[in-house]
Amino acid sequence: MAAKKKQFVCLEAGCQQVIQADTDEDLVSAVQEHVSKAHNSFELDEFILAGATEVESDS
Amino acid sequence: MTELTAAAQEANGHQKFHFTREMMRGNAYRKYEKAINAIWNPRDLDYSQDIEDWARIPEDRREALLGLTVRFFAGEQAVAENLVPMIEAAWALSRFDWLMYLSTFVMEECKHAEFFAVWHERVAGILEPDELAPYFLEREKTVDPTGRFELKEVVHEGIPRYAGELTAAVHGGDREEIERAFLRFATLYNGHVEGVLTMPSYEIVVDTCAAWNALPALSAGYHRILSDEGRHITFGTSAVRELIAAHPDWEQLVHDVFDEFRGTIVGLVEYQKAVPELDLQKYQVGKVRHYRNRCREMGVTPDETLVDQILDPSIDFVVGVTAG
Repeated sequence: MAAKKKQFVCLEAGCQQVIQADTDEDLVSAVQEHVSKAHNSFELDEFILAGATEVESDS
Repeated sequence: MTELTAAAQEANGHQKFHFTREMMRGNAYRKYEKAINAIWNPRDLDYSQDIEDWARIPEDRREALLGLTVRFFAGEQAVAENLVPMIEAAWALSRFDWLMYLSTFVMEECKHAEFFAVWHERVAGILEPDELAPYFLEREKTVDPTGRFELKEVVHEGIPRYAGELTAAVHGGDREEIERAFLRFATLYNGHVEGVLTMPSYEIVVDTCAAWNALPALSAGYHRILSDEGRHITFGTSAVRELIAAHPDWEQLVHDVFDEFRGTIVGLVEYQKAVPELDLQKYQVGKVRHYRNRCREMGVTPDETLVDQILDPSIDFVVGVTAG
């Protein structure tokens, strides 16, 4: 059975970056790093958790 | 009041115990727990460096920043007052989990207002209404030179009006009407105002403190407030999602609310342009992300015409230009 991953899609205009992680904490860290580096901005942890979905892991 | 009591009793079936295992696993209860664990006190912040910085910041820059912070100060008080109908609605709908979370929500909005009171009094030396009023920039005085959009005063007129509609629905006692009015209020308050309109202003203040390498207590306070706002916004958008799941045709109500205040959201208004060294395009593009995030959280399809208008570089509001 495939493991589940947490997934968040960045909705910045023109981005649509898909970010996956094993845990909520790792997902929050990864998304915040992406938004900081790619968009010079920030995303609140509650926004990330509220927008996250669970997906089947490919690995 | 008799009708309200009767409606609430009918709604909750005279329940004496509201806690269930399912309720304690739910989203609203989790936010309540998080809020309780995240309580902070504005009086614990160290304002001494801000006082030193303020003395060396040129007068025109101080005034520009106060155009933002004074609106936040007024806004936090306005939203705190207008949370009362949400609490009434939670009671009437027998949503004890919402009531628990909203108890922290009200406390936090009052505390945010207190933070601004302390910061303005200690750092800027202003607190009384007549000292603050000269820095309050009226949103209605910002206009679209093309005449396409009307900028309404959403915080100080829209939210109180929607709050009145929610109170009227609670007193009317019809459950579906209460839910419909709750959805409209949460969409405007949590989705539109807190969730999209205000986010660039928070970021502008945080970025200004970083650009000036100054005002660490102001920056720290904004970071604390933002953390609280993340819970507020997603409480509201989650409630909207829940109500739309039960009434799929109510998705249009969300778009109607955003439409009513479309002009307020499509451009940056004058007080958001107060600090010239910032890249304003970043905040405008970011607004699209916030709008799309809120739509995803509410379970509604974004209005792409609104997205296009937010990104339209020709939309540039100014103060004192007659529309048309």
